[in-house]
Amino acid sequence: MTANGLAIIAGKEFSDHLRSRRFHLLFGILIVIAAVGMITGAVQYSKDLADYNSLQVIAQDDPTLAGTLAGLNPSILSAYSQMGGLMAIIGVVLGIAMGFDLVTREKESKSLKSLLAYPVFRDEVINGKALGGVGAIALAMGVVLVVSLAVMTLFGIVPDLDELVRILVFGVASFLLVFTFFALALLMSTVSKDSGNALLYSLIVMIVLTSFIPIFAYSPVYSAVFGDPPDPPGRSTYSYLQGSSAYMVTSVAVGYTSGDPIDPEELKEYEHASREYMAQKQTITDIVTLISPTGNYQAILGAVSQPAGDNAPGYGDLLGALAYNVIALLAMPAAFFGLAWARFMREDIR
Amino acid sequence: MILCDHLTKVYGGVPAVDNLCLEIPTGEVFGLLGPNGAGKSTTILMLVGLIQPTSGACSIDGTEVATHPIEVKRKIGYMPEDVGFYADRTAEENLDYAARFYGLSEDERRRRASDLLTLVGLDGVRTTVGGYSKGMRQRLGLARALINDPAVVILDEPTANLDPRGVLDYRRIVRDLAGRGTTVLVSSHILSEVSRVCTSVGILARGKLIASGDRDTLLRSAMQDGVIISVETRTPMPRFASPDILSAEFSQDACSARIVAGKDISDHIAETLYAKGIIPRRLAVEKPDMEETLLSYYVEETV
Repeated sequence: MTANGLAIIAGKEFSDHLRSRRFHLLFGILIVIAAVGMITGAVQYSKDLADYNSLQVIAQDDPTLAGTLAGLNPSILSAYSQMGGLMAIIGVVLGIAMGFDLVTREKESKSLKSLLAYPVFRDEVINGKALGGVGAIALAMGVVLVVSLAVMTLFGIVPDLDELVRILVFGVASFLLVFTFFALALLMSTVSKDSGNALLYSLIVMIVLTSFIPIFAYSPVYSAVFGDPPDPPGRSTYSYLQGSSAYMVTSVAVGYTSGDPIDPEELKEYEHASREYMAQKQTITDIVTLISPTGNYQAILGAVSQPAGDNAPGYGDLLGALAYNVIALLAMPAAFFGLAWARFMREDIR
Repeated sequence: MILCDHLTKVYGGVPAVDNLCLEIPTGEVFGLLGPNGAGKSTTILMLVGLIQPTSGACSIDGTEVATHPIEVKRKIGYMPEDVGFYADRTAEENLDYAARFYGLSEDERRRRASDLLTLVGLDGVRTTVGGYSKGMRQRLGLARALINDPAVVILDEPTANLDPRGVLDYRRIVRDLAGRGTTVLVSSHILSEVSRVCTSVGILARGKLIASGDRDTLLRSAMQDGVIISVETRTPMPRFASPDILSAEFSQDACSARIVAGKDISDHIAETLYAKGIIPRRLAVEKPDMEETLLSYYVEETV
């Protein structure tokens, strides 16, 4: 009888995750957050829906308002927005907590040498570890989704098929976010000698990806790095520094418009420069978002939780608009896992 | 059978194992001896397929390790020097996990785990391995090395943490294995242990095999450099005339002497004393023990 090393290792890893106190704790927090977030979101959704319905009644009496109010039909997915925000923090921590010691623990307990001496290929070991983790993350995300749907049902909110698909997209995006940081932690676990260093490196990269890189998309930082937007002709802006500390700069910008007539050529130049500036800024923002897993996650979450209604984009449009974010959210864990795989295959056993 | 054919492993330009040629016949209990850094563990890691040789090859029962690592791993049982387990699992669970890789059925896994835990004296221990002493871990390591009923067993420093009872159990188990025709390779620096259980010995120094053979052959070889004969008499003894004497030291009263000879000349000394009417109190040939033999090889290699 031939043993399937991949299945054996994946099974053990999956079981280890489910038995781990660390997983219990973070999963518990995740469930509580999901439930609380959904309760808050469901209450807000019910209120928004009531407001929308009352506005619809008003719009029926005044046809001129109908078009304005038609697009404001709240989406059930808006209830997931709050949960999504919290997921971007706890999910990230869960992913790192599940992966940072997967290989270093084997090194520290001296069991890696024995494991590799069994009739098993090296790639089965690292693949099995990843597969076990993926299974545990999928289970956790599945339970979170079920809990969220249960909470909604308790509030009498029943999603239709379109909303169920969007909820599923939210679930898949959440899974990919957690998996991204799980793969990152797994990579750090293969390159580090001990679990302490693996955790530290994982946190450093996590901070860079989720907090450091996105600051380049913020207007003040962007202006500091790439310059201020062009001033419109006949108008000057003066900034007065009010005070500063290590974390905050307070300033007041005062715009001054002269009464002189504006040269049309100058205005054209301004419009051109302004468009270029905005296009460049958008490119930088898009790149920053693509590099940051949480940025991609938030972009997907924002898109799927848009208000429903006649103007809501279809799946095709949604997928087209989010294609780069989806690809980035898939590519990043694949890259991390690929690096972890290559490193583990070259691991020096002595 | 274990075969190493010009096996070489180089780390950073320094050979850890240097052109090692070794053949261990089936059913042999072979002791691999050597000081720290001699290349014992590196040799073993290449034999169990954990590292690739820089050049040369090794095979187990005719299967080359580098090209067919999985087949080889199915045939061998390996206990590393720094034996490790999953601390949050019991001994049975650790053994069961190991047994899964060999495709054993659940019943077979349970039976083998139970038998092996009894064999190494860990039956009835229900705590997780995290609470085990080093000696208990070593016993469990031996059990795990035997989980697949291997044709070749490779043990790296197997008695390092064992108490006297554990050492006796280990010797019994190795002898049982040898009796069943299992080839056993024991790497150790505890020379007395190797000399007790091994039928032949190889001595490694700086990655090279500097001597090999059965214990008596090695001893005879070591004795070629000189035999020490201690003589004590009741009355002063004469100077001995033999061309084999290399050096001789006498006490002030000439009633005791330490003679180094090229070969055993104790008969000649006894005859001389008898002829002179001198009553001997002690006449002993000091054969080097395994430790001295080993040290003599190390010294030669260093020189």
